[in-house]
Amino acid sequence: MQHLLTDQQKAKHAEFKNFVTLNVEPFAEAWDREQRIPDLVISMLAKCGYLGCSLPRDYGGQGWDIVTFGLLNEALGRGSSSLTGVLTVQAMVSMALLKWGTEEQKGRWLPPLAKGEMIAAFALTEPGAGSAIQSLVTEFTRNPKSDSLILNGNKKWITCAQLAEVFLVFGKLEQRSVACLVPRGAPGLDVEPIHDLMGFRSAGLAELTFNDVEVPSANIVGKPGFALSHVAPVGLQYGRISTACSGLGLLRGCFEESIGYAAVRKIAEKTVGEIGMIRSLIAKMGTDLEAGNFLCHNACRSEEDHVPEAFEKTLTAKYFTSRAAVRAASDAIQIRGASGCHESSPVSRYYRDAKLMEIIEGTTQIHEEILGKIFVGQAGRCGK
Amino acid sequence: MKSFNAGEENGIKEAVRRFILSSINVTHLDDDDNLFESGIVNSLFAVQLMTFIEKTFAIEVGMDDLDIENFKSLNAAAAFVVRKTGRQGS
Repeated sequence: MQHLLTDQQKAKHAEFKNFVTLNVEPFAEAWDREQRIPDLVISMLAKCGYLGCSLPRDYGGQGWDIVTFGLLNEALGRGSSSLTGVLTVQAMVSMALLKWGTEEQKGRWLPPLAKGEMIAAFALTEPGAGSAIQSLVTEFTRNPKSDSLILNGNKKWITCAQLAEVFLVFGKLEQRSVACLVPRGAPGLDVEPIHDLMGFRSAGLAELTFNDVEVPSANIVGKPGFALSHVAPVGLQYGRISTACSGLGLLRGCFEESIGYAAVRKIAEKTVGEIGMIRSLIAKMGTDLEAGNFLCHNACRSEEDHVPEAFEKTLTAKYFTSRAAVRAASDAIQIRGASGCHESSPVSRYYRDAKLMEIIEGTTQIHEEILGKIFVGQAGRCGK
Repeated sequence: MKSFNAGEENGIKEAVRRFILSSINVTHLDDDDNLFESGIVNSLFAVQLMTFIEKTFAIEVGMDDLDIENFKSLNAAAAFVVRKTGRQGS
């Protein structure tokens, strides 16, 4: 895919990969084991401008194009899916706020988000509402005593909630969907870390409980009634781009680990890479990597060009790379044998993280349902 | 900023109609058909429709424009584009 990139994008990708080689790959296993990413690493992401890379310079962001955002996620995904999760949710909240926030909201919240002085989390999923987001039961009510809302409910599996200082919370207000910014310090908000996940173990997931949490009405993002149809989709679009590209990075990790091992590991007089059955696994992995590169690039370009097809292209890329990452991680372990089942090789972590990519930002089955419907809807284009 | 006079409103309507018919499995769409209440399009399509309108007519839909009345039908969408381009051009 390199030939599709501008010189500037190539240079940025090289910079990102270098950052990951030095600051992420050597430590990712320890973060996974300790189920925590050190604050210092988050500070490094902030210092490099990565946490606000897609926000305009006017707000203190880098103003990078979406292909570059995708390349950053790909590079980080090679090193640590959990760390990429920080970038994912920061972009989800920031970009939803950039699109639908008031000038006052944008002026107040975007500069600290852009500089990484504040970490955000996207609080959509509930214990009883994952894929079926219309089933949200988190409820905002109007406070009769002041111009504020009272929030009650639960959110679960919220990536980065352990670190976040502000949450974009989705719920219902007078039977209409609503999105609202809720600061971490709000009285009545409890953040309970979720430990011992299969994958994304250091992504800081938590459950949020809101007990009569008071938030100013001025914190509503967009208008009531449009939170699920317009506000959430902007965030989820960035979430899917990030996850698709992170999955691509994981896929590259599986490929590079596999070919490196296959080239030197010997069984009797042959290297593993000389065995036809192993070559077959590597051929599938390499082909998926190439296809995933093009799909991710196409998704990022479509979003950058702001075309309506960007939604479909992004779904396609995320659907493909998340499934391909699972296949590749499984095969990478198979190629390494017993050593692939131990934490001394990153492929065992890749295997656990890859499976979660088929679940976050929409499960594989939800992607199939939506994409199938989109494709059937396009029958008119071919005159049928 | 591109602007449209009242005579061009039909052109806007046709462009939106073509986009919807090429994206949704329906063969006919009247100017006043209620796109959302009738179930012709669902909420997943709402952002795609908005993006099409933004891209095609070089406007930006903002928080103040979040009103179902602006997008409920072809007539409503065309009137919204005319109104928006007039406002942005002033």
